[in-house]
Amino acid sequence: MSNIIEIILKRVGTLFATLLIMSFIIFILVEIMPGDVAQMILGQSATEESLAALREVKGLNEPLLTRYWKWISQAVQGDLGESLYMKGVAINSILWRRVGHSLVLAATAFLIFVPLSIFFGVLAGVREKKFSDSLISFFGLATMALPEFVSGILLITVFAVKLDVLPIVSVIPIGETLWQNLNILILPALSITFVMFGYVSRMQRSSVINVMNSDYIRSAILKGMSKRYVIFRHALKNALLPTITIIGMNMGWLFGGLVVVETLFGYPGMGSLLMTAIRTRDLPLIQACVLLITVIYSLSTMITDILYNYLNPLIRFEGEGV
Amino acid sequence: MSYILFQLKRNPLAILGICILILWIIIAIVGPSLVPFSYTEMDSVNQLVPMGTDGHVLGTDNLGRDILARIVYGSRSILSVALLTSILSTVLGVIIGFSAGYFKTIIDTIFLRAMDIIMSIPPLVLSLVVLGILGDSTIFSLTLIVSVAFIPATAKVARGVLLTEKNQEYVMSARIRGENHLYIMFIEILPNTMGSIIVEATARFAYSIMMVASLGFLGVGMQPPTPDWGMMVIENKPVISQAPWAVLFPALAIASLVIAVSIFSDFISKVLINGR
Repeated sequence: MSNIIEIILKRVGTLFATLLIMSFIIFILVEIMPGDVAQMILGQSATEESLAALREVKGLNEPLLTRYWKWISQAVQGDLGESLYMKGVAINSILWRRVGHSLVLAATAFLIFVPLSIFFGVLAGVREKKFSDSLISFFGLATMALPEFVSGILLITVFAVKLDVLPIVSVIPIGETLWQNLNILILPALSITFVMFGYVSRMQRSSVINVMNSDYIRSAILKGMSKRYVIFRHALKNALLPTITIIGMNMGWLFGGLVVVETLFGYPGMGSLLMTAIRTRDLPLIQACVLLITVIYSLSTMITDILYNYLNPLIRFEGEGV
Repeated sequence: MSYILFQLKRNPLAILGICILILWIIIAIVGPSLVPFSYTEMDSVNQLVPMGTDGHVLGTDNLGRDILARIVYGSRSILSVALLTSILSTVLGVIIGFSAGYFKTIIDTIFLRAMDIIMSIPPLVLSLVVLGILGDSTIFSLTLIVSVAFIPATAKVARGVLLTEKNQEYVMSARIRGENHLYIMFIEILPNTMGSIIVEATARFAYSIMMVASLGFLGVGMQPPTPDWGMMVIENKPVISQAPWAVLFPALAIASLVIAVSIFSDFISKVLINGR
């Protein structure tokens, strides 16, 4: 068990180092954006004196490192600053609700694609080279690199335009909450499912095939156990392990996909907020959004990694990984 | 060569995928001179008309621009950017990944940490923010930034294949002969790992198309008036219930290209890796 704690501590340490460097890169990246912040706040007609005064107040004349330190230390304490475009509005008051919406959408997609792709991946794996395998494999191959907005458009055309059973856009009416409008989650979540299904089911299939060809499965079958029992009791345990890593590795695509899907459906999440921030050149909001996406993404990668280490008996009991 | 033909005969799907891909390449090269409309021409009489009206084979968008012409012209930018990106990211990935895996000292540690840092931000978000900040994307900036976002993936693959070859006898003998490191890396090892690298490059091609189309969709791809498939989708999405063709055809164009390339790269990996 002490190995696991050691691994966790190591991971958390790496996470902090990575986040510190990444936050600096994000800060610099947004700082080099063409345009003068003081000019953006006061508009084109501002006088030279008022611009200089504002720069002084906002600390824009200070060296880069000082400003970075101020920004990151406030961010760690939970103060993400004020939006530039929506003047004087604290970023905290807009961001967190959007983050919640995005996480609900991601979780919905997750609940759909994980069981679905594992089920079909296992099915394809145990029926290798049969018709159902070819069908599932082709579908996985076709959806693997299909952009989310393309699958989204196909879904909208069928379910919203032709059948008219689900809404075309996923906006929440003013004064209502997400929980009163759960049907707006279905199409965006399904659009994400398409891409994820491709990756995960293909990975699951090949890992099932690998395990089914191993000696211990062969001896279990030769011993006269039913194939069903062998698959569920012996094969699945080992065949699920690589899938966990793949799901974790693809969380990056999922977060990128959220930006695309939220923009397509107009869903009020973190991704569409980032798009608005880029369009309106709202520097503090861009910094806050990207920082938060990085934090959430790194955390989920770390959790997958720890989970993998924990579930893998080779690492859990021996310390040194394979 | 005969082995490829043999594999092709066993994979009718691969033939279909390669045909679609070749078709798109032909369209990108000669298509623009065959369509009767230009991609900027606004037909003020025929706005949002359905397929087949007044010579608009696939209809028009809300500004009266011909959908077919815009798809045909748009194939040029997406194919060239995606192709350049897959080549550039593979070349850079091989150079970086090979150096890291070959020297294995502090360089390798720095490499792994640096890749972890770039990987801590989703590639699409990274490219989106950088392109959004730079503004006015060109083929050059688009290719460069998407390639950089892909380097962690390609470099890790390159490093992995180098490590499997590094302790082979032919590398040892080259080292004993006194060849320099560059010679060993690129003249001795590279040709032996070409199969895996080509597989990675073709898979990268499919992801590049996905990425470039998504960036276009998010408005940071090729800038107007250059037609961009992704941008056509988001521009016409508000009118999807009146004029589904204006959204559906660009989306189908992306889908057909992406699926064809995926099938192609799957076939390449079957021939080059599993087949041996």
